[in-house]
Amino acid sequence: MLEHAYLIPIIPFVTSLVILLGGKEGKDSKMPYLGIAAMGWCFLQSSVLFFRALSGRMPLEAGKEFFLHQRFPWLEWGENLRINVGVLVDGPAVTLLFVVTLVSLLVQIYSLGYMHDDKRKKRYYAYLSFFTASMLGLVIASSIFILFACWELVGVSSYLLIGFWFEKPGPAYASKKAFITTKLADCGFYVGLLILFCYAGTFDLVSLKSYIAQGLLPVEVAKAVGIGFLIGAIGKSAQIPLFIWLPDAMEGPTPVSALIHAATMVVAGIYLVARTYFIFTAAPTTMGAVAWVGLFTAFFAATMAITAYDIKKVLAYSTVSQLGYMMLGLGVYGYTAALFHLTTHAFFKALLFLGAGSVIHAVHTNDMREMGGLYKRMPTTAATVGIATLTIAGLPLLSGWWSKEAILHDVYAVSPGMWVVAVFTAGLTAFYMSRMYVLTFLGAPRNEEKHSHAHESPLTMKIPLWTLAVLSLFAGGILHYNGLFEHLVHFKLPEGSHGSHHAPAYLLPGAAIFVFAVGVGLAYKLYSGSLETAQQLRGKLSIAAETLEQRYYFDDFFLGLVKLSDKLATACYWIDSRIIDAIFIDGWALVLRALAAVNDFIDSFIVDGAVDGVGTITQDAGWGLRKLVRGQVQEYLLYVSLAVAVFATFMLSR
Amino acid sequence: MTLLHYLTVSGILFVIGLFGALTRRNTIGILMSIELMFNAANLNLIAFNRFLYPERLDGNVITLFIIGVAAAEAVVGLALVVTIYRNLNTIYSEDFNLLKG
Repeated sequence: MLEHAYLIPIIPFVTSLVILLGGKEGKDSKMPYLGIAAMGWCFLQSSVLFFRALSGRMPLEAGKEFFLHQRFPWLEWGENLRINVGVLVDGPAVTLLFVVTLVSLLVQIYSLGYMHDDKRKKRYYAYLSFFTASMLGLVIASSIFILFACWELVGVSSYLLIGFWFEKPGPAYASKKAFITTKLADCGFYVGLLILFCYAGTFDLVSLKSYIAQGLLPVEVAKAVGIGFLIGAIGKSAQIPLFIWLPDAMEGPTPVSALIHAATMVVAGIYLVARTYFIFTAAPTTMGAVAWVGLFTAFFAATMAITAYDIKKVLAYSTVSQLGYMMLGLGVYGYTAALFHLTTHAFFKALLFLGAGSVIHAVHTNDMREMGGLYKRMPTTAATVGIATLTIAGLPLLSGWWSKEAILHDVYAVSPGMWVVAVFTAGLTAFYMSRMYVLTFLGAPRNEEKHSHAHESPLTMKIPLWTLAVLSLFAGGILHYNGLFEHLVHFKLPEGSHGSHHAPAYLLPGAAIFVFAVGVGLAYKLYSGSLETAQQLRGKLSIAAETLEQRYYFDDFFLGLVKLSDKLATACYWIDSRIIDAIFIDGWALVLRALAAVNDFIDSFIVDGAVDGVGTITQDAGWGLRKLVRGQVQEYLLYVSLAVAVFATFMLSR
Repeated sequence: MTLLHYLTVSGILFVIGLFGALTRRNTIGILMSIELMFNAANLNLIAFNRFLYPERLDGNVITLFIIGVAAAEAVVGLALVVTIYRNLNTIYSEDFNLLKG
């Protein structure tokens, strides 16, 4: 099982090709079942690996920190440039394999119901498989080079899926925005990669780790590489300031959003930082940068979620915020905690998105002001989304509670100041998630017509919901129990990085419970009745609310940048065409033309004149001499005689 | 009878021949004039042989060769005249101007 781990990304990849090239397109296409079957196999294989690793029945390689490391030479140019392709299976990789395959499988099953009357079902499933395959490749790759390749494939497939309904302008724009924004960040990743390769001469993660452990990489270089990788992660994991693509990515089909947010795309950035953690720990400055980026993202994204009325946008901001948490966790040496949160977050965020999809499927709108009171119509959705909401809000003993507490604990150890902001953000999370839930499911229906048409989703959509609900409830507790997850991830803190602050035992959980209660209570009080109180409050704080609704004007900022560069380009064009071309191109051409005229004169009058002159003289001489030849034999004879006479006279008279 | 007499006759003969060759229009006349010049040369050679080196035969032998060559030349020349006459219907030398430039 373990030695065939490479099959996990390859199977969905092949499947996507088969689906894309074979079968019949249409509503009744049977190809989706092929995709589900393939993903089912991958899930089985991954979960066997995961559970064996979790229960300690899968041995680590002797003296190493991983279960399996296979390498095959792939590209070789000379002595110095060798790129291997291979798999590296360790604790985090196994976890991610499990999470990705699970979420992808559930999303594919769910999509059977959600996309049941879409005309391009076959293509949709091909893209889903491709997307998952790229992410699985990223997770399992042993070489950063392959990881980078898969990273780009993830970008491409997310582009395809966000723009799946490409005939509408919104998705087409959103897919372009997502692609370009992440591509911008990928430049940082790529530069970091090249710098690293220049020094270490290898892309292999294990070799790199030992290279850095020997202290061969200068700290300044490690810093540059770390910042480059962090920029890549900022783009892919939608951190501030490059988060702008994620809210727009909601234009894609909702199951795709679930896949992007829970498993495949945005966690890639977090995973990259985790996978190359040894580089970051080698340069403590970068760790600080990671932590601050995470903290800012967590906080600002949470505030933006407060004012959103689009149900998917709220979830998108919440994802950004939670990713910020993970980044923060990584930045404060909370490697295990961050990966733990990544795992639990995948479950409840997938559940939230699938639940939101179920709601949108029923009422055909994203606007929460049109909803309300849906729990009567959709009990399953209401119950499962309720569980997810409580989990992400941080109800004690649910999955989210454990992982968030672990992160907060590590944050406090490093900096109590950061911890205050993080806890406040947790309160905001509780508030906006409860607000979303209350607006959608509780209270009285605000749009009777839509409410009366709403209906519970089909079984294919309910099964994933319940599965994820169970995982949201218990996965965190189980993994936390006896330090199971800690043991699996097997992370040893580098020397001297332990935080110096120790909180009183009651402070951390107490504060968390307090902000949870305040957040949920406030949301219920404000939004369970009519929206008037909330509207009045918004009126009083209109400037703040406006700022939040405009996402702190980040979009305007980037659009301004684009416009500025556009203007710059116009100016450059003007300078180029009017000044540089006029002087250096056209002016030079004038000079050259004058030179050419001189040259032409010399050539035609002097050189050619000499050549032609010789010819002309010869010809004229010929014409002249020709007159002498008259064809009269006796004349010739006369000349000969005269010549002989002259010569004879000359010779005899000497 | 001294060498000078012979040379005088020979010179007169040669000049007559040359004059004929340059002035005769008729090709056959030109050929005859050329024969005269040959004979002037022959007479010259015989005379030098007779008066300067009487014990040797060089001059006589060369004269015999020249007589043979002159006979062959006459044959070729007359054949040419006949051929030209057949083609151009004339034997006047001023009409043979095919090589005129």
